[in-house]
Formats: sequence, C-alpha cells, structure tokens
Amino acid sequence: MDKKKVKLRLENISQSYVVNNKVFDAVSDISLDVYDNEFLVILGPGHCGKSVLLNIIGGLEKSVEGNTYLDGEKLVGSDKRIGMVFQKLALMPWKTVMGNVEFGLQMAGVNKDIRRETAQKYIDLVGLKGFEKSYPNQLSGGMKQRVGIARAYTNNPEILVMDEPFGQLDAQTRYSMEEEVQRIWQQEKRTVIFVTNNIEEAVYLGDRIVLLSECPATVKEIYDIDLPRPRDTIDPKFLSIRKEISENTDLAL
Amino acid sequence: MKKHIVLSESEKKELRRKQIYKVLPVVSIVLLIALWLFASSFGNAQFPSPIATWDRLLELLRKPIKNLSLWGHILISLQRVFTALLLSWVIGVSFGIVLGWSKKCNALFGPIFTAFRAVPPLAWIPLITIWFGTGEGSKVLIVFIGALMPVVVNTQAGMSNVNKLYLDVGTIFNANSRQMLFQIAIPSALDAIFAGIRTSASAGWMVVLAAEMLGAKAGVGFLITRGMDSGDQALVLLSMICIGIVGAILAIVTQIAEGVICPWTRKRSN
Repeated sequence: MDKKKVKLRLENISQSYVVNNKVFDAVSDISLDVYDNEFLVILGPGHCGKSVLLNIIGGLEKSVEGNTYLDGEKLVGSDKRIGMVFQKLALMPWKTVMGNVEFGLQMAGVNKDIRRETAQKYIDLVGLKGFEKSYPNQLSGGMKQRVGIARAYTNNPEILVMDEPFGQLDAQTRYSMEEEVQRIWQQEKRTVIFVTNNIEEAVYLGDRIVLLSECPATVKEIYDIDLPRPRDTIDPKFLSIRKEISENTDLAL
Repeated sequence: MKKHIVLSESEKKELRRKQIYKVLPVVSIVLLIALWLFASSFGNAQFPSPIATWDRLLELLRKPIKNLSLWGHILISLQRVFTALLLSWVIGVSFGIVLGWSKKCNALFGPIFTAFRAVPPLAWIPLITIWFGTGEGSKVLIVFIGALMPVVVNTQAGMSNVNKLYLDVGTIFNANSRQMLFQIAIPSALDAIFAGIRTSASAGWMVVLAAEMLGAKAGVGFLITRGMDSGDQALVLLSMICIGIVGAILAIVTQIAEGVICPWTRKRSN
C-alpha cells in the first residue's frame, strides 16, 4: 500500500455556475489522490459533478477554486499527458476510423508513417482491424466507443479519463465493452479515471471507487475493491460490495 | 403453413409498395403531358401543343438563331453561370468562414451584409448596366451577386455552429488555433457549406436567365425574349422546358459532387 505513487492530486476543487441568475454549485471542495496505474472509478448519482470533475482534470474547464497537480506539478489548461474518452463519443464524422484514431498525433505534428503505425496498433488492440477506412456512421455504438478508446490511447497519455463511456450502449454491449476496457487496461497499463453512474460497472472495473454525493458533489466514501480480476458479477463478495455501495448512494431524482 | 402464407402476403405487399415508387414519377409525367395536350386543344393554338413544341425543337436544331443552336445557347448561359458560381464559391466560402469563425469580423461586417443580402440580385441590374454596360462582365456580376448570398449565409451558419464537442476533442489533444479551424471547424461545416453551394447553383441559374432576358444576344434567357418578341410561343415553352431540365441536372450534379467530396454525408443516408 505504501508503495503507491500519487499520480494526480486534486486539491479542494470547487466549481459553480450561474444559471438563471442563481449560483449553482456542481462540485464542492473535492480533494482526491489518484495513484499511478490504478483504475479509479468515480461513481455518482444523477448528472451532478462527475463530468465537471473530469472536464477540470482534462483542462476543458477551469475550476472556481482548487488546484490539480500531475506528478506534483500544477496543471494549467489541457495537458497532453491526459487523454479523454468522451461520453458522447465525439468522433468526427468526416474522418475515417484511422483518421479519428490518429487525430491526436496529427495535432502533435507526428509524421504520417509513424502515426499510422501507432494508430494501427491501437485499432488492432480494440478489435477494429479491418474497419480503418469506415466512417463512424457505419459503425455500431460499441464500435464507435472502441474508436474513442483507441483515439485516447494512441496519444500515449499517462492518465486516461473516461466519462461515462458506455452510458449510451445497450446492456449487452455494455457488458462486453466493460470486459474489453479491463482487458485493454491490463494489457496497456495506465492510470484510468473512469466515471459512471452504474454501481455494477464500478465494482466490476475499479481498484478503488470514489462515491460522490448528490449536488453539489462531495466525496462521500472511498472503497478499495480487492477482488481478483476478471471479476465475477454474481460472486457473493461482489454482490455484498455492490449492496453496500448501493445503500450508501444518494437517490438521484 | 399459415405462417408461410402470411409471409408471402407481406412480401407481395412489400413488392407492390416498392413498385409504386417507380410508377409514380412516370404517372406524373404522363398526366402532365395529358394536361398539356388537353389545354393546347382549346383556343386556336394560344397554347402550343407538345407536338408543336417538339417540332419547334427540331426546327431550332436545324435553323440556329443568331448562329447558335439550342445547345450553343444553353452552353453560353451555363458558361456565365459557372464563371459566376466559381467566383462566388471561392469568395463566399472564404467570407463566410471569416464571418462565422471570428466574432469580431461578424460584428464588423455582419450588419452590412444582412442589409446587403436583403436586396434581390435583380435590383442590381440597373446600376450594373449603367456602370459596366450590358457586356458579359455585367451578367456574370449579377449572377455572382445572386449566388454569393446563399454561400455566405450557409457557410457562416455552419462555422458559427461547430459542435462544441469537436472543439473539446481539439482542446484535449492540444490543437492550435490553425488546426482548430482547418482540421475541425471547416470540415464540420462542410455539410452547411455544401447546402449553400447547392442553393447557389440553382439561384445562379435562375438569375442568369433573368439577366439575359433583360438584354443579351445569346443564351436561353435571350431565346425566351426572342420568342416573346416574335410571338413564337413554342420557342418560349421549349426554352422553359430546357431551363427546367438543365436546372434539374445542375441540382443532381452538385449533389453527386457533394457525395464525392464529403463521402460521410453520402453514407449517412444508407
């Protein structure tokens, strides 16, 4: 336990918005350490706080209060060491699978041969070999999110942030994508911060689960999940953890 | 057994339903010609019949007007349209991108442009004729004005409505502002830009005919005025039919071009 190295530190993060002339607090005073190479799940009810927290980590939003440190160094704006898989996919419809996956490296000015080679590696890893030239609208929901995952990995981030990546998938696809994400994570170890509102998904994937409260989001509890992987969703231990978290979760209205 | 009957019944229905989509366009054309025949059978050729119009076509192909066959006139009109369209696409798309992407430029030019665009292109004809005469350049300029508006308006709309999600992806991957514009904003606005290009093609085709009708020595619009001046109704009708057909072909061509240049929009419809 002591060997764990802190990769990302969130310090007293608060975020508020002005909605209809009223101040709305989305996140209130969240402090959190994320360890190197761990699979951290942020679990929260409703639509409050989770994505905001990720947007702050990814540099898409600036928090009203608090700071974020990566390897002890303060983060300002978007950092290329942090990759993101978006809830709404955000694949560019005008780019092929290859075009989308190599996008990050293209922005970084990497030459074509090298970026194609790297992109191909991750396209193969997520199981999309043969679909390089397809456009996103020719793919199923699960395949699209695989593209999103490959795109994030291709840029070789140290931290991978996933914002409810499977929220829009049907249950069956969701299960198989959860297995996929776990397989990919074990094959290509990174620090993953995974947001979900699904307790089962959280217990299946997380090394640790950070349970957030209802609005404004605060850290309610942090669970260490010591079950061996791949986890069995009907194992009594799995179910008892699931039940424990479930009873501690605020109801989302 | 029963299941089989139900299935084949629905299959038959499906087939019939599909056939009707092939039959309906033919029905409408046949009906139109029937109506045309019926209308032209009254009042001593006040309205030329299909046969008279067809004869006029054959005559026009044999006996050119102003040394130009029908194709020659169509070609001249098309030449004017394409010169103007090309200019309007280059200038209109660039201007639209600037207006849609830069809030400052939009604040600077937006109001003027909105007022400018409310003036119908044909209203420019007198001034342009006074300034530049009735030559080729003036006609191209009028068509250019008519075609420019839809291109600018659509491009601007597309550029100012770039999905924030795509820009977020750019931010996450540290795209610089040039990459944001050329790799994200412009490609995502291509749909809208093409909508503008399609509208401009049909607008340009309409405006060129109007411009030609007000003074030209060749072109389809000139054919119509010639027909009107000489009481040659068959020629007027024939020209109108040509305008319709060429306009439809233009629309199809721009649609195909869009499918080739933006293959992702084509595949969406499947």
